Amino acid sequence: MSSPATTRLASLRGTNNEGVLALILIVLVVIMTFINSDFLSAGTLFAILRSSIVPTVLALGVLIVIISGGIDVSFPAIAIFSAYTTVVLVQGSGVDAGVLVVLAISLALGALLGLVNGGLIARFKLPTLIVTLGTQGIFKGVLLAYVGSRYIADLPLGMRTFSTMSVLTVPDGGENTSLHALVVPVIVLCLVVNALLRNTMFGRGVYAIGNDTEAARRAGFSVMKLQVILYVVAGVLAAFGGVLHVTLTRSANPQDLLGTELDTIAAVVLGGASIFGGRGSVLGTVLGVLLIQVINNSLILMGIPSAWQRTAVGLLLVIGVGVQAISARRASRRVFAHREVVAQA
Amino acid sequence: MTDQTTEEPTTRRGAAVESNRRIDSAVMNAISRVHVQRGVWRMLVLTVLAFAIFTAAKPRVFLNPLNLQNIAIAAPEIGLLALAIMLTMLTGGIDLSVVAIANLTAITISTLYTSVAAGNAGLAEGMAPLIVLVGLAVGALGGYINGLLVSRVGITPILATLGTMQIFNGIAITWTGGKTLYGAPEMLVNFGRTVVAGIPALFLVLVAAAIVLAIVINKTALGATILLQGANPVAAKFSGIRTGRTLTSTYIMSGLLAGLAGILFVSRNPTASADYGSSYVLLVIVIAVLGGTNPNGGFGTVLGVVLATLTLQIVSSGFNIIRLTSYDYAIAQGAILIIIMVIDQVTSRHRRRNVPKISNALATPTE
Repeated sequence: MSSPATTRLASLRGTNNEGVLALILIVLVVIMTFINSDFLSAGTLFAILRSSIVPTVLALGVLIVIISGGIDVSFPAIAIFSAYTTVVLVQGSGVDAGVLVVLAISLALGALLGLVNGGLIARFKLPTLIVTLGTQGIFKGVLLAYVGSRYIADLPLGMRTFSTMSVLTVPDGGENTSLHALVVPVIVLCLVVNALLRNTMFGRGVYAIGNDTEAARRAGFSVMKLQVILYVVAGVLAAFGGVLHVTLTRSANPQDLLGTELDTIAAVVLGGASIFGGRGSVLGTVLGVLLIQVINNSLILMGIPSAWQRTAVGLLLVIGVGVQAISARRASRRVFAHREVVAQA
Repeated sequence: MTDQTTEEPTTRRGAAVESNRRIDSAVMNAISRVHVQRGVWRMLVLTVLAFAIFTAAKPRVFLNPLNLQNIAIAAPEIGLLALAIMLTMLTGGIDLSVVAIANLTAITISTLYTSVAAGNAGLAEGMAPLIVLVGLAVGALGGYINGLLVSRVGITPILATLGTMQIFNGIAITWTGGKTLYGAPEMLVNFGRTVVAGIPALFLVLVAAAIVLAIVINKTALGATILLQGANPVAAKFSGIRTGRTLTSTYIMSGLLAGLAGILFVSRNPTASADYGSSYVLLVIVIAVLGGTNPNGGFGTVLGVVLATLTLQIVSSGFNIIRLTSYDYAIAQGAILIIIMVIDQVTSRHRRRNVPKISNALATPTE
């Protein structure tokens, strides 16, 4: 059981099956390269990274909530609410605001909406799915009814400058392809959230309340405070995702992102986070998002109608979670068998 | 009293204890019934309140028979989907795939009908009942797949049905090519227009389905196992209940209800598409919870869910009449849901604090 080879394999596998996920990703890339030699190119890589920018940021917020044992379905509403309202406010002020002003306003809005979620959940101990379902309706409704439902094409200067900025340009088959600059802040953000979850008391607290709220309380964590803070953080992350989305699409459409909540949750769960809380990692989440983006991209390259994307992601989710469920059951059976052996001896 | 007890101490005392116990259980029963019916009463008050508010605001338009009929025509499909979700919530699960299943049923019916009708219109009409049954079977099959994933494979219901929702929806998109299909059996279209004694036939479908479901939940062994499964899965397992079979039947029934909703989709409008009612998923969860269903399982009433459906339809139609947008309706949905949950939480905490006192007071005489 504990020979060096197997332990090394186990450590490669990762605590949340990140290794398995990475392996699937690599196998997929190899297969795709055989099928279509165009696949393995800087252009494809950059396209996949660009399309992963917004899903990754949104997934990070969802990850924190899921680790804490909750489910948030209001984050797309928070994302587009914050971003769109910021654009409207900045346009209304008449001043062409810079990037810092835009970020400050939208992140503050995200924090405020997250505070509403966190306050309701922590103060009244309500089921997270139900609360966020309710706030989703309220946020969406307030945005469309009272902030605006108009498509806005001219963005504030702070966003415009970033829309087409690239950080890396390489020649690719005669043409130049470039990597979008916004990949950089997203990578930094992943590292920050990773450190936040692994190395801070807040992060340990989030895992603790996800594992066992009562145990966390007795261990001295202030569950209420932690819950409020974590939903504020999730709100800020959602708002950042919204700003990135508006920047990348170069327009503010208040109907965007809404309805994508389940896709993002699927990516996070695929990345090894347990829907019951207490388990999950930034690395797994990023791999989950990348896997979905690679599959979407592969289907297009293979000439399969994009309509199959939903089915593919659904199948992947069912298979991924199904394998986890079956192996968990086997593991628990092994533990029982082991216990019986010990009891008999 | 005292000299009698010396004569026959045991039997007298036994009778006293017995009668005391009977009173005790009757009182506890009444208390628990009041508690059980609380959700229904509250919903009834809310329904009447919503009706009264909009009647007061615009009596002419709101009480117009046409408007009331519109409410009764729009409500059934949502009500059936909410009942489907409520049923799975009773076992402590959830079924996110109901709308996708309903759309698959609608698409199946529309496709079969138009392909047969292309060759022979009369034959297609004659085969209409069969086509509808095939559509219903598609719903049952979708539910069966969910049931297998939940019971056999052991995937958490919310994830299993999230996955199948994507799969069914993907199949529907590919099948229709993202377009809206036109064409439905005349039989269904006529049925959709039928009005019996001022009540649209579609609404009667909801009433019938609700009655059947209420009987299944409250009067059958399957219903009892479903409730126990949700209230305490461990106890259910150790009382010899076949958990897997209960869950599979629950999800098949949920699929059937969704399929029935799909039939109503095509009866109301002879069209079918993959993205019809995409906003229904969250709406029907709101309705189920508002109707008093405990999302953690073990408790919920059919009547509560039907009343919640009506309330939200009344609010939706009323908002239209007083010229509020569908966005305001979204706000109202969310606000109603959260306010009800908060009130529930506050009063149930209060009640939990009081419960030991009541039972102590009742218990002392028997001691």
